[in-house]
Amino acid sequence: MSNFQEFTKGLWKKNPILVLALGLCPTLAVTTSISNALWMTLAATFVLVCSNIFVSLVKNFVPSHIRIPIFITIIASFVTIVELTLKGFQPEVYKSLGIFIPLIVVNCIILGRAEEFASKNGVAASILDGLGMGLGFGVALFILAFFRESLGANKLFGLMLIPGMEPSSAMILAPGAFITISMMLWVMNVINSRKG
Amino acid sequence: MTNIGKSAIILGIITFISAFLLSHVMRITYPEIVRQEKEKEKRALALVLPGYKIGEKKKMNINGKETPYWIGEKEQGKDGKKEKVRGIAFITASPGYGEDIKSMVGLDRNGTILGISILEQLETPGLGARCIEVASKLTFFGFIFGEKADEEENQTPWFQEQFRGLSITKKIKILKKGDWNPGMRKELLKENAISAITGATITSRAVVKSLNRGIVVLEKIKNTPEAKEDNK
Repeated sequence: MSNFQEFTKGLWKKNPILVLALGLCPTLAVTTSISNALWMTLAATFVLVCSNIFVSLVKNFVPSHIRIPIFITIIASFVTIVELTLKGFQPEVYKSLGIFIPLIVVNCIILGRAEEFASKNGVAASILDGLGMGLGFGVALFILAFFRESLGANKLFGLMLIPGMEPSSAMILAPGAFITISMMLWVMNVINSRKG
Repeated sequence: MTNIGKSAIILGIITFISAFLLSHVMRITYPEIVRQEKEKEKRALALVLPGYKIGEKKKMNINGKETPYWIGEKEQGKDGKKEKVRGIAFITASPGYGEDIKSMVGLDRNGTILGISILEQLETPGLGARCIEVASKLTFFGFIFGEKADEEENQTPWFQEQFRGLSITKKIKILKKGDWNPGMRKELLKENAISAITGATITSRAVVKSLNRGIVVLEKIKNTPEAKEDNK
């Protein structure tokens, strides 16, 4: 695979949310607003790229039977960096994402990429893989948040959409998240089946 | 045996490096985190005790809970005879739909609410989280077409605004009248009531419940030596 493909596979062919179905828990939980989704993407992508770099760097020294604790240590370190930085410089964001920032540690996308890709490939390819996966994660989150915020809160980017309209609160709660993501999967499968 | 030793050493080295790095990140961010929290407290105090000169933060143990409080002073009255008025601000909390809703309350000596400010809440976005929503007339499409937010617009969230003037010595009632607007103030004051957030009665009830605790706090703080001074 060329380097460019390493980057783009995260967007469609191996989209972490829609194809690999990894990391659904934070996905469904934080997509109540677009700003939450964007900050979550930023945080997760930062951790993903950094952990990919370091996992790729240490892959030759690490005995395979202790690789998981080592990957987790690396991931947890970067998550803590993100957590402290957000707490210090973006307290509002930190507050609204709440528990889902520390939970990036157990986000399957990040450990999954460390195990499946970074521990077998070079640093450059791992960075591209991390960026692509992060972008794919972000796009899926953005679409979910767009529908949930506009229909569930009558807002976009925190600004009111139609004055006086009563939003449907089901969309902001868990059922709305499941309905939206199933619609997205449906559209994606329809497109894929037409192509193939 | 050597295999175990080797693994342990590698794991040890990696955790050491990571702990070393994190301790430095902590050192950089910690002062900023503390500053942010102080800043937030200051802003909330200015909101709940408007115009008061606020004293130092103190702590008191009330019903086994550590309650931080502040005493504020203000000069009131006409030019001829000025008198010092005291206000009390404290932090109170009650479980909402998410976690505890933590709010700061400002009271005068008679138990009238001067203002409240919700400090921490994890309520459902779009429902309970509207307790910190500022009623803005600016819409998304308006923003795109270059409209600007009205500078004169009241920046206090409407849910918190409606508590001003209520008394905690009586029970605060919760009515379901929809979103609050300034036109409802008179009617609600008469009833000593607030209008609940639509679809989030639990949130509204939690805030009221935490305020009802305030009566105990008020009595206790009134009896502290520094608050007693003006009883002379």
